[in-house]
Amino acid sequence: MNGIVTYMKRDFTKWFRGRVAVISALIMPAAWLIFVGLALPVKFTGNYLDFITPGILVMTMLSAGLSGGALLMFDKILGFLNKFLALPTPRSSILVGKILFITGRGLIQTTIILIIALLIGATLLNPVQYCLTYFILFLFGVLISAFATTIALYLDDHDSYSAFNTMISMPLFFTSSALMPYSVMPAWLATIAHFNPLSYAIDAVRDVTAGGFPAIPILVLLVLTVGLLAACMRVFRKVTV
Amino acid sequence: MNAIETNDLTKYYGDLCAVDHLTLSVNNEIFALLGPNGSGKTTTVLMLTTLLNPTEGRATVCGYDVTRDGEEVRKKLSYVPQDMAVDIKLTGRENVRFFADLYGVPHASDRVDEVLAIMELSDRADDLIRTYSGGMRRRLELAQALVHEPSVLFLDEPTIGLDVAARKKIWEHIRALRKKGMTIFVTTHYMDEADQFCDRVGIINKGRIAALGTPMDLKARLMKDVITARIEGTLTPPSIEGIVFVGQSGDEVSFTAENGREALPLLADALGKSGCIVRSLSLREPTLDDVFLQAVGQQEEPHGFEDGKFRIMLRRRK
Repeated sequence: MNGIVTYMKRDFTKWFRGRVAVISALIMPAAWLIFVGLALPVKFTGNYLDFITPGILVMTMLSAGLSGGALLMFDKILGFLNKFLALPTPRSSILVGKILFITGRGLIQTTIILIIALLIGATLLNPVQYCLTYFILFLFGVLISAFATTIALYLDDHDSYSAFNTMISMPLFFTSSALMPYSVMPAWLATIAHFNPLSYAIDAVRDVTAGGFPAIPILVLLVLTVGLLAACMRVFRKVTV
Repeated sequence: MNAIETNDLTKYYGDLCAVDHLTLSVNNEIFALLGPNGSGKTTTVLMLTTLLNPTEGRATVCGYDVTRDGEEVRKKLSYVPQDMAVDIKLTGRENVRFFADLYGVPHASDRVDEVLAIMELSDRADDLIRTYSGGMRRRLELAQALVHEPSVLFLDEPTIGLDVAARKKIWEHIRALRKKGMTIFVTTHYMDEADQFCDRVGIINKGRIAALGTPMDLKARLMKDVITARIEGTLTPPSIEGIVFVGQSGDEVSFTAENGREALPLLADALGKSGCIVRSLSLREPTLDDVFLQAVGQQEEPHGFEDGKFRIMLRRRK
């Protein structure tokens, strides 16, 4: 437990002292929100901004999670990981510390996106809805950051990691339900979207904002996250260089 | 019980045998593993620090098996890899505190002050690492490694890339730790440092120990004067009674002789007759370099540099 907090604290301290990265990570989702959310002429809903905001929130978390995998990559390249592995601190705390930092950072970023969305005209929700939204985003953040961090453990260098990041982030976003409802998708896209884990998170948040309680998507997300987390922790426990 | 004990420790990477049935015991001393690049030094350290599982054989650190009791082993040791990994956005104190917290050291804040003082970093403790010199960063890493009072310290190339003064300081600190009863296992390829500062050295080549003993013993085993000749042309080692060919490294050829003074003119003659031009001859007492050369044989690396081509290049520039 001690180790997890210590690892997480280190990443947060370094992040806060970084400054540039804090801003730059927000540009992309904010641009989507403003240029697509406000400008795209769509017929299936009266308030497209309200429709696309859950998608952008999840997308923010996705890119926060995927770019967070690079943290472990740098620890590995620069020799920190070897030092950490030689410590008596449980090796799985390296992973959990990273997950909590990456997810925490993602939640800070999604909060800013949420504020921007409100400023440009999204509907204000009640506190329970916000709590549920944050819970779903947290689950999704853990899922993505566990995945990204474990992939980074296996890849050799930062180039292959950023190639992996590019390869996975855009297709995941476009094949999800972020931009349009299943009803207006072409059939083939709707099929893919139904299997995309991103869709579960987006549908869940969208359902919450519409006033519902999305038990099934949350359950699916929870099972996926717990399963993946257990597998990744196992990998970290047995890791050798 | 020895601090480090290995028994037929072996590591294969696919077909490549990186460490080949290594049997060693190290206790309360500064032990240096010497060897050319790729000889298996780092692989050995990685196995001893539980970062890599051996293919065969076993090793114990403070009596704990490195594969079975990994966590116990890690409690006993500290490992400083050669990369010099310290967080440049954190201060010296924060860097050490980070490790103290990971180890769960009691009275962390006092202990951090203490190790910073030992490593003579107290006055710069609250500066960001980006303002530290290489030698200071290395000392900070030692401070991190000492924070939980380990019994065994593994240092992979501790002085690589440091200037002469910084190296000397690092070694003084290492010696001081040894006096307090710590076992220190270093890898290096600086022979002079191993000779000067280490209690015992093992020369490793292609994963096997080629020579083992105190620097004094190893040098005494050569027992003779060393003659080094700088030559041009291909060498056919001459066979003269009492003169033994040791090895070649670039254009330098080493011989040992019972009586160096008498051997010098004989050798000059013989080399001249065999068709190479002798540029210089020198006579000296054996150093660890000679032991190394004899144990490891011809070093491959210098041959990557073709001095024939280099001369042609120089001529062209005129």
